[in-house]
This record gives sequence, structure tokens and C-alpha cells, in this order.
Amino acid sequence: MTEKYILKKDHLQPFLRKLKKSHQLVAPVQNRHGDTLFTEIDNLDKVHIDLDNQPQNSLKRFFFPQQEVLFTYHNPARDSYYFETVADESAPTLYFGVRPCDMSALLYMDVVFLKNARDPNYLHKRQNNILVGLNCNEPFANCFCNATRNGPFIDFGFDLQLTDLGDRFLVEYDRSRGQEIISSWRQFFAEAAESDVKAQYQAFLEARGKFRLQVHLDQAVKKLAEDEVPESVWEELSMRCQDCGGCAYICPTCTCFTIRDQPISDSDGERVRAWDACTFSGFTLMAGDHNPVDRQMRGIEKRFRHKLQFDVKKDNRPSCVGCGRCVNICFGGTDIVRFINMTCCGNI
Amino acid sequence: MPSQLLELYLPKAAEIQEVIEENSQIKTFVLAFVDPEYNDGFSYEPGQFLMVSVPHCGEAPISISSTPVNRGTVHLSVRRAGKLTEAMHDMHKGDVLALRGPYGRPFPMASLVGRDLLFVAGGIGLAPLRSVINTCLATGHERSITILYGSRTPSDIAFKADLQAWGQRDNVSCQLTVDRAEPGWDGAVGLVTALLGHCTLAPHETKALLCGPPMMIRAVLGQLADRGFADQDIITTMERHMKCAVGICRHCHMDDKLVCKDGPVFTLEELKQLNVMELQG
Ligand SMILES: Cc1cc2nc3c(=O)[nH]c(=O)nc-3n(C[C@H](O)[C@H](O)[C@H](O)COP(=O)(O)OP(=O)(O)OC[C@H]3O[C@@H](n4cnc5c(N)ncnc54)[C@H](O)[C@@H]3O)c2cc1C
Ligand code: SF4
Repeated sequence: MTEKYILKKDHLQPFLRKLKKSHQLVAPVQNRHGDTLFTEIDNLDKVHIDLDNQPQNSLKRFFFPQQEVLFTYHNPARDSYYFETVADESAPTLYFGVRPCDMSALLYMDVVFLKNARDPNYLHKRQNNILVGLNCNEPFANCFCNATRNGPFIDFGFDLQLTDLGDRFLVEYDRSRGQEIISSWRQFFAEAAESDVKAQYQAFLEARGKFRLQVHLDQAVKKLAEDEVPESVWEELSMRCQDCGGCAYICPTCTCFTIRDQPISDSDGERVRAWDACTFSGFTLMAGDHNPVDRQMRGIEKRFRHKLQFDVKKDNRPSCVGCGRCVNICFGGTDIVRFINMTCCGNI
Repeated sequence: MPSQLLELYLPKAAEIQEVIEENSQIKTFVLAFVDPEYNDGFSYEPGQFLMVSVPHCGEAPISISSTPVNRGTVHLSVRRAGKLTEAMHDMHKGDVLALRGPYGRPFPMASLVGRDLLFVAGGIGLAPLRSVINTCLATGHERSITILYGSRTPSDIAFKADLQAWGQRDNVSCQLTVDRAEPGWDGAVGLVTALLGHCTLAPHETKALLCGPPMMIRAVLGQLADRGFADQDIITTMERHMKCAVGICRHCHMDDKLVCKDGPVFTLEELKQLNVMELQG
């Protein structure tokens, strides 16, 4: 048995306070409007860390900001053109209360940003952080991580992983850093009793039975691979998709970006990268108005194929993590759950 | 962080040594990196491309049209197409732009050795093939080389100096055609496929390299298939909107492939596994 510990809920605040001395803290915070968002916390006493609701945002922007300066460029004369890197000021950060879906999304982002080439901006933000996850005893209304197979409990990727057992958390670690944290702050942790471990397993079994959505993801993956998705599904989806990009922005695994120059003066400017969405008509547009993808008809198709077909072919798993955020945000009714249901059950 | 890491997106300044006006739409820029040490160490293979930065215009992918055999400079042959390429056309000898790369999977040069070669190009499409042809010639390719080049009008014919030099080689047959003749033109008029129809080829001993507009590619592919060329002996390049060129931003996706990393050079055999517009319609 791997070592498991108990952290009493009374000890959470003092424990976070200690870690906050060396790390910036990001956790789900409920703001005065009632929205729960992953937020940078300055003063622990002034915020309400909300572990009861699903954060509306994922961790994406903390590692891959919506807009970021890659470097500045300078062109004081026609024969002089030079570049200056911008120091990344981001401090070592503790991400607390990360759900299995968002943890899995981060592991997927690692593949995107570090496998083909090592993206310096991403790498810098990914280094020196601590990930403290939280298993989901109560899946939310639109969750389907049971279908994507990365939740509601997870056993890798984190430094520390918490399971809520009422008045206390069961704590596991995956990486050596997690073990170090426990040894450094041993006063907060007690060894877990066998009954605690049993209680965790019980919570897991119960959580698995609480999903409200039935999503036949495997079946959709199979149909895509065998090219059996009826054309009418794509037609319906592209007709209804409003091309707003909301799904891609909110999605923790949508990582496409654009790069552009932002002039500051006649001679200087910034090279900026910003989130993009493959559903946008400009995504594949080339000079001379030439587009190899019929965006009107195929934009949204490309998005679903990427997540459920091409990534499966490449990495053996879909890149949808079942967080359900796109279900909430899509007013066109063309989110991924709708697509899967249309494909598998003919439901529209 | 090691500096090499920081430089993933950081281009290097390069000075324009010479501008060759190929036609009213295409100019070839002869470039050398400003940092002499970097310039000396710079190497690439035919078929690879560079990301070109021009102040305030962002970046664009451009194939290297020179041969790596000639060290010291790289050639980029650029057709006016939009913001960045227009701005490039306004640049002169002595001006500085910036480059990063080389990127992409090159042409399989080793597999061309000992084979007859057929090059079919339209317009700016000759740029990457020019790199291959000049490399083959410089490294003593002995078997026959057929070059078919289509342009819109006789004044649109680019790379005239190369075409002339190639035509003088014993083992090279270089044939031109135009869509529309102009006074004084006594060459062929029509599509490159018509030229191809008149060529004697040994399909099983020949590698065919094509580069040009999708319409041309489709027509030529059809003919080559009819003449018994195997899919793995037909090699072409793909063009897609591109931003990062290092396999991250996903603009250049073609199903599960990325043009910047898995391409831009593909065999027909590989392309047939994918759903690509160039092969359809
Ligand atoms: C691998 C590769 C090799 C190429 N080699 C050559 C070459 O040797 N000579 C040549 O003249 N052209 C080449 N092109 C096409 C060239 O990249 C485009 O013409 C150029 O990007 C247009 O940029 P623009 O700013 O002038 O046009 P705009 O329409 O203003 O384009 C804005 C931006 O969109 C992107 N973009 C637009 N069109 C294309 C396109 N066709 N391909 C990729 N990105 C695009 C670029 O990031 C560009 O900066 C190549 C393209 C690829 C993918
Ligand atoms: S999708 Fe799964 S992991 Fe994510 S919040 Fe819902 S139950 Fe938790």
C-alpha cells in the first residue's frame, strides 16, 4: 500500500499559510457575485476557498495566458532589426483544489507544449509549481469524466491529492515533491488508518454512481475512427454553431494559438501569442482567400475529430477530459456531449 | 533557462545581399545572417523552409530555394500574396529582416539517387524544387532529369537563369509552357499536363516531384497514376496557414499530421491516408 495521510480540515488553512510563504497560491475562490474561479490569492483570510463548486475556469490561462508577449522587436533603421526577450515574472505557484479533469488537462498540455518542441513560456510556468488535487465525491451536473476515463478520482499527475472524508482529507502523493511537502510539514499530517482508506474507496464507488449524464464517448470514438458519423450530424452541427469560439476558450485542452506583431511605435513592437480557435473561419485561411478547409461546413467537425479521433490515433486517448464546461457555455447547442449523443443515439 | 530554449520563437537577423527580380510578382532574396558565426554554421536540406519576420508584419513560412551545397547565403523566392510578402517586396539590398528555422521534413534526397527524376512545377512552386534540382546537379546526378514548368504568361516565367542553365545540361530536359501566349512566344501553350503527355518516362525507375497550385497537382497526379507511377514515387509539398512552425500551434493540421513537422514534403502514399483538399474535387 502506498503511504496515505490524513489532513484535518482545521489544519488546511494553517498548512496553506505555510506553503504560501514560498509559493503564490491559486485556488477556486467564490467571488461576491457567487462565481467560483481559480484565482490568485493574496490574503487567505479575505477569501472563501470554494471546494463545493466546479471552478468556471480551468488552469489553462495560468500556464498558457490568453495573450502573452513572446518578445519585443526593434527596427530603428532599415538595416537594424533586433529582438529582446521578456523576463517571465511568474513566481513558483501552488495550485490548490484541482479536480481530476483539470489535472488531466494539464498533463495533456504538457504533451502539446513540450513534446514536439519545448515551449519556453509554458515550461517556465510549469516548473516550480505544486499541484494539490481534489477528488470529486460529487460530480457536477455536466460532468462526464467517467466516460473520458480521467475521473472522478485520479491517481497520478499531482504532487498531493486530497479526498474529502467529512471532517478530514485523505492525502496521497504521486511525485517526490509531494512526499517532501508532507515530510516538511509533518505536524499537519497523521498517518491514515485502514478505515480512512476504506472510506476513500467507498467515496470513490459512490461518486462513480452519481454521474447524471450518460455519454457514450467510446462509441463516438469508434464511429469516428470507422468514418461512420452521418453527414447529417455535421450539417446540423455546422448550421447551429455560431462560430463564437466560446467552447475553445473555456476548454482546458484547447490549446491552438496564433502569433502576431503588435506595434508599439513606428520602430518597435511586441510579438504576441494569443488563443485561437480552430472553429474560426480565419484559422486555416491563406493568402489570396484560399482555404483548404470549408470552415462553414467543417470547422466544428475538425474540432471534434481532433479531440476524439486524431488525438486517439496519436496518443491512444481522447483529449476531452469530460469537465462539461462547454456544455454550459454553448448557446448554439453544439457542444461535445450533443455531438456524441447525435452520433450514437440520433438524439438532437 | 538554457538560451537555446528561450530561442524557440526568437528569429535571427539576416541581411539582404541581393534581390533578384524573377518576374513582376516574384523576387528572390539572397540572405546572410548578420551574426557571421551563426551564418557559417547554418545548414538545411532541400524542401525545408524558414519563418521570415518582417517588422510589424509577423511571420510567414517560405521555402528555401537555394541549394545547401552553396554555403554562406540562403535564397528565398517570394511571391507577393499579402501583408508580409508585399512588405518584403519593398525591401532592398542592405535591409535587414529576420529568420528562424530551418523547419520541416525535407525531400528524401537519398531516395533520388540512381533514379530518373521528373520535376513538375507551376509558378512559385518551382522555388522548393529549385533547391532539389540544383542540389542534384551539384552532386553529380547522372540519370535523366525532366523539368516541366508552367507559367501564366511568358512574362510570368520565373527563375529564367536557372531554367537556361538546366537546359544546357546533357542529362536535363527542361520544358516550359504558358497558359496564355504573348507576342514573341513560340513555345508551348497549355497546361503542364500536356507537356507531361509528350514525355517519355520509365515510371518504375522514376521519382516524380511536384509543386504548384492544387489544380495542377490534381491533374498531374491523375496522369502519373495512369502512367503507372507508384504512390510512393510521387512526392509533393503541402501548404497550410502556419504560425509556430514547431508543431505546437496546430494551424497547419491535416488530420493527425502537422505540415510544419510531418511535412511540408509528403509522398502521395502518405497523403492518401489523409483527408486533404488537394486530392479531392
Ligand atoms: C511550407 C510552406 C512553404 C512556403 N514557401 C513559399 C515560397 O517559397 N514562396 C512563397 O512566395 N510563398 C511560400 N509559401 C506561402 C507563403 O507562406 C504565403 O504566401 C505567406 O504566408 C503569405 O503571407 P502574407 O503576410 O503576405 O499574406 P496574408 O494574407 O496577409 O497572411 C497573413 C498571415 O497568414 C499566414 N498565411 C497566409 N497565407 C499562408 C500560406 N499560404 N501558407 C502559410 N501561411 C499563410 C501567415 O502567417 C501570414 O503571415 C509557403 C507556405 C508554406 C506553408
Ligand atoms: S469532470 Fe470529473 S473530475 Fe471534473 S469536476 Fe466533474 S467529476 Fe470532477
